[in-house]
Amino acid sequence: MNLAELKNKMDQAHYIYDDTLATVLAVALELGRPLLIEGAAGVGKTEIAKVMASALDRDLVRLQCYEGLDESKALYEWNYQKQLLSIQVNMASQDRESLTQSLFTDAYLLERPLLKSIRSEKPVVLLIDEIDKADEEFEAFLLELLSEMQVTIPEVGTIRAKTIPFVILTSNRARPLSEALRRRCAYLYIQYPDMEKELAILRAKLPHVDDRLCAQVALAVQKLRSNETILKKPSIAETLDWAAALDALGIRELTPDALRSTAGFILKNSEDLAALQEMEEEGHHCACGGNCGEHSHG
Amino acid sequence: MHAAETAGNILMDNPQVYPEKVSAFSRMLRLEGLPVGPKETEDACRILLVMGLTNRETVKTALRTVFAKSREEQGIFDRCFDSFFLSEEAMRQQAQAQMEREQEMAQGREQAQRDLNLNGQPMELTDGQREIYAVMSEEMRQKLRDFKDRFQESAARNPDLYNNFIHSVFTKTLLEQQMKMEDAGVNCAGLDPELGLMYRDISQFKDTEIPKAISIIENIAQQINGELSAKKKNRGRSGALDFRKTIRKGLETGGSLYRLKYKKKRQKKKHLVILCDVSGSMVQFSEFALRFIQSLNHVAESSKVYLFSEAMVEADAFSLQNMDLFRNFVKESGAYGRGTDLGAALMDLIQAKPPALNDSTTLLILSDTKTVDQAGAIQALREAKRLAGRVLWLNPLPESRWQYLKGASAFSQICTMISCSTLHDLASACRSLSNF
Repeated sequence: MNLAELKNKMDQAHYIYDDTLATVLAVALELGRPLLIEGAAGVGKTEIAKVMASALDRDLVRLQCYEGLDESKALYEWNYQKQLLSIQVNMASQDRESLTQSLFTDAYLLERPLLKSIRSEKPVVLLIDEIDKADEEFEAFLLELLSEMQVTIPEVGTIRAKTIPFVILTSNRARPLSEALRRRCAYLYIQYPDMEKELAILRAKLPHVDDRLCAQVALAVQKLRSNETILKKPSIAETLDWAAALDALGIRELTPDALRSTAGFILKNSEDLAALQEMEEEGHHCACGGNCGEHSHG
Repeated sequence: MHAAETAGNILMDNPQVYPEKVSAFSRMLRLEGLPVGPKETEDACRILLVMGLTNRETVKTALRTVFAKSREEQGIFDRCFDSFFLSEEAMRQQAQAQMEREQEMAQGREQAQRDLNLNGQPMELTDGQREIYAVMSEEMRQKLRDFKDRFQESAARNPDLYNNFIHSVFTKTLLEQQMKMEDAGVNCAGLDPELGLMYRDISQFKDTEIPKAISIIENIAQQINGELSAKKKNRGRSGALDFRKTIRKGLETGGSLYRLKYKKKRQKKKHLVILCDVSGSMVQFSEFALRFIQSLNHVAESSKVYLFSEAMVEADAFSLQNMDLFRNFVKESGAYGRGTDLGAALMDLIQAKPPALNDSTTLLILSDTKTVDQAGAIQALREAKRLAGRVLWLNPLPESRWQYLKGASAFSQICTMISCSTLHDLASACRSLSNF
């Protein structure tokens, strides 16, 4: 798929993107490389995988990483209970050899996301989310899959991919990833969207919300993100939630009162709420940036 | 491929030269420290043939995706790309700018030649020194001229003595100016502001940059915590089988002991004693270093912080919570803005009741090694090393300057000294602290 076709598909999926993102995705698709996306929490890394699944008309297979994740949860596991039952049932069987062999066949294999993605008849989008949360051993284990598109199961042998999935790995940079993993991937770093892009996202996702309110919300969020005292920067999803909440409450103007009463949608810890209060006390009566004409800006 | 159609296009007239050019570009990236292999070069050629070269930004993004595998590498890549693939217009602009720069420098050197003379004779300065004079602020230049005028008459009476004196003052000022320019990170400031801050001298941070620096520290500390957590987990197995856990786990598989569980190795507890110099020049570095160390979870089981200048005082945990509280505490303790007596501070620490140092402690010293009574300080450091299990020194001065400071070279022979004038160095030092 070339760049123009990809852009067309993403337009059809109503996804707001910039040229950099589209080019990087096109390069990764063209080269058949996994794409490693890094960026702060809430910038829309996971969303890219969902959109790509929709744009490429493929299923999304998701593997959520966490500390302690191992191959039995990520790749495959033998169905022990079923194997034990089978042994009990066939206890009287004379052909012990074939019984043993039958225990390690597809009938007893529980597919986990990685195996599922390469054994699928139709190519899928494989999302390996928050890879920085997994252990280093798991990273090493992924290398075979990412570079050769095959996995090895000791009892069965090497399984080659029936179809090649488009792999997207995301990381919040909680820890640096190994060089070996990085080298096997195309790389993208994404930042929070600028005012223009954020407004475009609000308009696309919440078309029923008043345009003026969207502009005020986008500007307020930009100001909050640029404030160094705010520890947890508002994510795009939180911006959308906030705008939807304001709209649901019938608020048409982002006044200081409206901001105070709905701040919980955008700031999620007490330090940040205190910082917002401080901003107000210092004279920034609202975070609308002066766009609202009907109240004082101190 | 239609090369050089517009000013924004990349100059590659013949498609046959793509692999050659890309290969040369790969070599350039490799020289700049990016781990670029043949596979990346092959990918780059492939992608250029598919995407074409008609749009400079698309080519840059596509090659960046292939060659740069981290945010830091992206910064290096952008710099290399902009200097390697030039549009005709950019080439003309660069040549023009270079010519103008050279003209300006030549004028500056001539101006310096006119300004810097003694009794009608030009001062013996190198072209480099004259260029530094040319880029100095007018205020600094006026100061130097005033100084020269003040001593000009005396120089006529005893030319050798005074000319040498004036010359040495000029040379020293110009050298200091050069060092300041280097310290200000002229080369990295133009890059990503966050990365620029990582590689600049901590003591040179402006007040407006401090919140940004704090958020960088928090991010790096989070990264280091993640790394140390993974390492700690991997160190765990002692080799002995844990029967109880193995049997319990076996219940999931109908009683067969399918997964073996091992006993964890007991971790020896480490205690960190931090001796922190808060004399005038050190307070900013100490604040940052303490903030860094305090945000690391896995470095030590407990830590005690002592602040010193002429005298030593123990800092309470409350005062270390944030920078404002820390600054207030330092000011109220009376230690701020005084001279430094490391020897006295170490002796106080050695004689502390109950004892602060024992064989399970790691003594961490944050100081620039400038102290009164160096002989006393060396002796006290030896004694402290004997009592404490380990001694590590974080020195904000670059290692290249240690040879000029008697204290630094003497102290570095007694204990492990790490240079960490920047946040990047500080992060590396904190990583090594966990293994120390």
